Amino acid sequence: MATNVLICDDSSFARKQMARAIPKEWEVEIHFAGDGVEGVQAIREGKGEVVFLDLTMPNLDGYGVLEAIRKEDLPAMVIVVSGDIQPDAQDRVKKLGAMAFIKKPIDAEKAREVLTEYGILTGA
Amino acid sequence: MTLTPTEVSLSEDQRDCYQELTNVAMGQAADRLARLLDVYVVLPIPKVNLIESSDLHMAIQDAETDSAMSAVCQGFIGSGIAGEALLLFNDTSFSDLAALMNYGGELDRYGELELLMDVSSLLIGACIQGIGEQLEIHFNQGHPVVLGQHCKVDDILKSGNHQWTKTLAIEIHYTIEHVNIDCDLLLLFTEDSVAKLNNKINYLLD
Amino acid sequence: MTDSNIEFGDIHWLMDILQNIDVGLVVLDRQYNIQLWNGFMESHSGLSPQKAKGENLFELFSEIPKDWFMKKAEPVYQLKTRTFTIWEQRPYLFRFKNYRPITGRASVMYQNTSIIPLESINRSVDHICVIIYDVTDIAVSREDVMSANKTLSELNRTDQLTELASRGYWLKELDREFLRCQRSVVPSTLVMFDLDDFRSINGHYGHQAGDQVLRSVSEGLRQTLRQTDQVCRYGGEVFSALLVDTDEDEAVVFAERVRKMIERMDIRYGQQSIRATASLGIARYQKSFTTAQDWLQAADKALYHAKESGRNKTTVYQPKAH
Repeated sequence: MATNVLICDDSSFARKQMARAIPKEWEVEIHFAGDGVEGVQAIREGKGEVVFLDLTMPNLDGYGVLEAIRKEDLPAMVIVVSGDIQPDAQDRVKKLGAMAFIKKPIDAEKAREVLTEYGILTGA
Repeated sequence: MTLTPTEVSLSEDQRDCYQELTNVAMGQAADRLARLLDVYVVLPIPKVNLIESSDLHMAIQDAETDSAMSAVCQGFIGSGIAGEALLLFNDTSFSDLAALMNYGGELDRYGELELLMDVSSLLIGACIQGIGEQLEIHFNQGHPVVLGQHCKVDDILKSGNHQWTKTLAIEIHYTIEHVNIDCDLLLLFTEDSVAKLNNKINYLLD
Repeated sequence: MTDSNIEFGDIHWLMDILQNIDVGLVVLDRQYNIQLWNGFMESHSGLSPQKAKGENLFELFSEIPKDWFMKKAEPVYQLKTRTFTIWEQRPYLFRFKNYRPITGRASVMYQNTSIIPLESINRSVDHICVIIYDVTDIAVSREDVMSANKTLSELNRTDQLTELASRGYWLKELDREFLRCQRSVVPSTLVMFDLDDFRSINGHYGHQAGDQVLRSVSEGLRQTLRQTDQVCRYGGEVFSALLVDTDEDEAVVFAERVRKMIERMDIRYGQQSIRATASLGIARYQKSFTTAQDWLQAADKALYHAKESGRNKTTVYQPKAH
């Protein structure tokens, strides 16, 4: 059964880059969201079993999305993909319940590494 | 093939792409500053625009035009793509910056110059190299030039007799959490670099 | 490595270029020991590469402030970033004599430097390269321009330090107002004031701090002013304000507002907090004045009284008392 993957980023270029980095063998259905508000909505609709989440976004930023997920206890495994690589940013998102942090620019290798490490992607 | 320069243009996809590349580069710059000062740097969404030379001061949207500023400018060039980075520093930021950087000396003009140079080396360097890495361009940096201390933005930007009419500008407004430090970093590419840069971007966009 | 198939001849050329190029090249290891010292450095320091190699930079050149230089160099090692110093910060890194008797007008070589990271094969930065540019010509001509500008600005309208009106400009305005007063029944009043014991602020906190006090007071003053008031830094720590269309009582209100504003001010200089007070003298235009100078003297007298009677106060000039 295909996993519902949500890519939440305000940049269409970044969304494309992220989609390209998803391992080919992983059976997924990819959904997109252009900001945090759309992102939370998509997660509520069950489109975000695994979420690749950007931090700097208009309307609702990544931190806000993480807070909403926690507050509503939504079933989402969140991997933050961000250019904000300050130690503080990484700490904050982990505390807010993000599973992992990948720094931008994303590439297939990094994505595979993290997905494997957390057992999301099992040996195909 | 014509020899007249092509019209400088920017599609929505290209703008988005520049914004994302800048976002990543400025994150790297912020990370360095954060580690140096042990602070959290608030990252805004960078502004990418085509501007007319007469509107240069409009590019510095967030800078308070009335307050005293200090500015450093640094040229960069690589693979035929050239530009200048301009760091505008609000003069009210210096006392907090001095405290964060454990600057012991007197905070006079020279003290401020030291701080200005240290911060600009870091922010400009990291940002330019960050963008360069993503586009696979090695940028060489020229020597920084102090454009002015305790000046108004308009006076700083007016000084040049600009040789271009319309070009690509990227503006980043950095602030630091809990302290009074803010500065603007403006990247301005030369007119003839924009087409080359757009080509690189198009390649990334497929 | 794929790039290393450089012919032996090429290396020979490169070495020649390094030796002859007209910029200084110094490679330092992690302990700041010199690993490369090119011809430019040899010529200007008189130190051969054989002698320099392996020596510690700071031991060999005591003019280089270690803390300062390390502040510029450490980020290069740690963050792989480039850093720069310019002659406006420190005129030079290495104290080299300016060797041109005809065209050279400076006694030392002004220098800009770039510090760049040198990556080793494992991508760590164990060495840095310091590039030294001779910018004496630029520095000398810039300093010429600056001293010329300085002369100009003395004739200019604003005081450089405080950005208030300059004394020269203000005195012209005063003359104009004096003439107007002679023809008019609308009163104008002059306020002169002086920061109390400013010398001890300078003595205690240093002149730079003193400058900050002047700047802060001026800034506060600007916010207290009405559109028509004309204020200048009269000289040193003395300020003067020309209050057009203002009688004595209104001037006292203004003066007291300024006095309290200064008294309340917490002036920050680095980590220090400086307090200041001011004494103020007020003189309304009198028909008995024959020149603007008389008016100034009257305000000055009142200021003197304020000082004599205990400072941090306002005194009004009384023509009949003299």
